[in-house]
Amino acid sequence: MDASAANNPELLRFLNEEEQRVMMNEAVAKLTSVCWDKCLTSAPGSKFSPSEHSCLTHCAKRYADMSMLIIRRSAQFKN
Amino acid sequence: MDFSSPSPPMGSGQSPEALMEQVQAQLAQAYMEELVETLRGKCFDKCIAKPGSSLSSGESSCVSRCVDRYMEATGIIRRSLFSQQR
Repeated sequence: MDASAANNPELLRFLNEEEQRVMMNEAVAKLTSVCWDKCLTSAPGSKFSPSEHSCLTHCAKRYADMSMLIIRRSAQFKN
Repeated sequence: MDFSSPSPPMGSGQSPEALMEQVQAQLAQAYMEELVETLRGKCFDKCIAKPGSSLSSGESSCVSRCVDRYMEATGIIRRSLFSQQR
């Protein structure tokens, strides 16, 4: 049986899916790291405080908003 | 990523199914290793203020809570990244 991706559309689709999965996991991991540092003010408790929980739920979206702003703003500085 | 596990080299006559399973297993292992390394850094920062001659019970329970909370935070971030509402 031929296991080379070039001749196997199912394998190709699988590899693309796995690549997507890896990229999504990487995005989640990076944001979780950043948001953990930003939102946890003290040592971890047996549950998140209301403010920690609120911070975490907003963090990813606000980071994305900021990212768009940065891209737009920094585009002015080309050349 | 560590690909030095004792399994047959890829594409050496394996079926596509076996190849896909092998790829998924290695990716899952790489993910776990990266997660554990992250947990080490985060929980050391939050829980071990000044390393002493052993881990106190306070430090140990902090580390357990740290792992639980970090996994919870991962879920929160994942859900907010992939939900449609603003």
